[in-house]
Amino acid sequence: MTVYISKSAQEEGFKACPHDYHVNCGNCRLNSICLPLALEIDDIQQLDDIIQHSKPLQKGQHLYREGDDFQSVYAVRSGSLKAYKTTDDGREQVTGFFFPGEVLGMDGISKNTHASSAKTLETSAVCEIPFTSLSKLSAQIPNLQRHFFQLMSREITEDQVLITLLSKNSADERVAALLLSISSRNARRKLSATQFRLPMSRVDIGNYLGLTVETVSRVLSRMQKMEILQVDNKEIEIVDMQGVRNMANLAN
Amino acid sequence: MASFPQNLISSSTVAPEIQEDMELARKYTSQGPRYTSYPTAPQFRQDFPRDQYYAWQHNSDDQKTAPLSLYVHLPFCQNICYYCACNKIVTRDKNTTRNYLRRLEIEIDMQSQLVGNNRPVTQMHWGGGTPTYLDDAEITELMHSLASHFRLLDKGYREYSIEIDPRTIHNDTIALLKGLGFNRISLGIQDFDPRVQKAINRIQPYNRVEPLVECIRTHNFRSLSFDLIYGLPHQDRHTMAETLCKVIALRPDRIACYSYAHLPERFSSQRAIDRLSLPRPEEKLLLQQVISHGLQDAGYVHIGMDHYVMPTDELALAQQEGRLQRNFQGYSLHMADDLLGLGVSAISQMGDFYLQNERELDRYYDLIDKGEYAASRGCKLSSDDKLRRYIIMSLISDLRLDIIECNRRFGIDFARQFDRELQVLRAMEQQGLLEIGAEEVQVSDRGRPFLRNICMQFDAYLESPCGDQAPPRFSTTL
Repeated sequence: MTVYISKSAQEEGFKACPHDYHVNCGNCRLNSICLPLALEIDDIQQLDDIIQHSKPLQKGQHLYREGDDFQSVYAVRSGSLKAYKTTDDGREQVTGFFFPGEVLGMDGISKNTHASSAKTLETSAVCEIPFTSLSKLSAQIPNLQRHFFQLMSREITEDQVLITLLSKNSADERVAALLLSISSRNARRKLSATQFRLPMSRVDIGNYLGLTVETVSRVLSRMQKMEILQVDNKEIEIVDMQGVRNMANLAN
Repeated sequence: MASFPQNLISSSTVAPEIQEDMELARKYTSQGPRYTSYPTAPQFRQDFPRDQYYAWQHNSDDQKTAPLSLYVHLPFCQNICYYCACNKIVTRDKNTTRNYLRRLEIEIDMQSQLVGNNRPVTQMHWGGGTPTYLDDAEITELMHSLASHFRLLDKGYREYSIEIDPRTIHNDTIALLKGLGFNRISLGIQDFDPRVQKAINRIQPYNRVEPLVECIRTHNFRSLSFDLIYGLPHQDRHTMAETLCKVIALRPDRIACYSYAHLPERFSSQRAIDRLSLPRPEEKLLLQQVISHGLQDAGYVHIGMDHYVMPTDELALAQQEGRLQRNFQGYSLHMADDLLGLGVSAISQMGDFYLQNERELDRYYDLIDKGEYAASRGCKLSSDDKLRRYIIMSLISDLRLDIIECNRRFGIDFARQFDRELQVLRAMEQQGLLEIGAEEVQVSDRGRPFLRNICMQFDAYLESPCGDQAPPRFSTTL
């Protein structure tokens, strides 16, 4: 359910984000995907109070590191981040990318410490949602916790589905699956499903997909030759959505 | 699909070598416990020394770093399966899970403080009921709650398993379970025959299970286990052979077969099963032979108590190395001595104690709401219990008893103390079920189907029960 906040509600003393006067959970355009809460207006105010709208993070800054105590989850407001683990031999293994409206840090949920590190790919803003406060608030707003766990379970599920796809398939299938994933995530936050900018480098893409940089580039140019994709450095246009789907070879 | 030993199912007469096995089976069929604990749950009492237990937990620090195994009982089911004898609640009211989870979280909090919140949780099992009766958000919430109060591991050697009802599971939930840290799945298959499924009110066609198994494989779970039941209505050697062919085609890593015990006076749902549709005792004996031969011909190893595993499975390897254990979750690797049971009716094994939580849901809620521990029954092991537990668990897990080690550990002379029991065992030795040497008792391949009967010789409570409830009728050993 989308939350509708009238202008007057805002004038009646809604606390605004310290960094952006126009931003609070009530009027954030991402609220329907970030915290799809069937909340009353008063409840939204309370939720807004516990969320820390933190300072923008510079490119390459860490949000949290592997092994940190799990205390908060984070909703991306703008920009993008990558999550990665450090392998036993010290190499970086990218485990996911996060875009506006998506929540990260939930890999801490089953072990209570963060299982990966998160680093910005560009200047980004995140909302921090401390778990203890959320629990306290959940006692007052019965639906809140439930919605939060619903959101989490969905994120975890989507992660796993993608990881599974990536672990099995050919280079073509992997690259196509990633493009489709970004496309559908864009669509969910009401952005273009066919035109977007890839905020991550080819190196990160290759690392994430378990492919060499060369292979990633080769697959992208092949898709361009097949006229299912337009690639201009980081700008991507999906010309033939069905073509990408066929290439991804997705069962559903 | 696998071919099947035709000598078992094709003719009306039974092949001589199987006749011989069945003769033995007939001889040893009797009532007996499955020894997931010793003393067994019917010996637990309300007036067990609970103060001693809580004092021991409060005073001893040395076990607060030892590994821990968790069992979480989720009693709800959407439909009733007529054969079921588990503690369960059939409901469609989704509020019940909210009410339950609220209490479970309180119990998790209390217990983590009592038993120690920093012990590595090497094993965890969610059983039921139907654990996946919880929706995805609730499953996530419960795992979060456990992770906030216990030290869950992400090490590859952890054994985190969950029971799944193939009828109600969605592929997305499989992905979620993987993401939450589960690495083992157990599927309640029971039987693939449509007529049998109808008679037990559990309809789950093969073409529904096959893609589910495929999905589980895709998500790279470390092992997949099937539960089968024999002795169900309309089962005969032919339906069983067909079911087994399908099972073998799906290649689960582990298969646990359970014998159906028809006790309608004790389990009301079983009253829906027509007694006359059950296989006759002779046919049931044959069913067990069909399973045993069928699975072993297909390459499975019988590790005991109707549990079959692939020879490469960790359980098979662990058995050879004496690292197998048996507890309320059946067989598993021996990684933790203590098992904490959470939720209504759950059983804990802690040091020298067994404890069982209140079995009635309302009373379980009352206890938790009053801020009390939920254990309502239990027992403290005497030194004799500990000796017998060692013997029974060694035989049932390792298929052998090291007499020297037993003498050393308990300061006894095994041959003298168990003279009477040994005489019975010698009769079993004559039939090739085991070998008794001066240093060890070794259960033979032939003796594996009769592990219960062997262990029963060492059970002091069969003749003089000490529980405070009417002694149960155990299911037959075969």
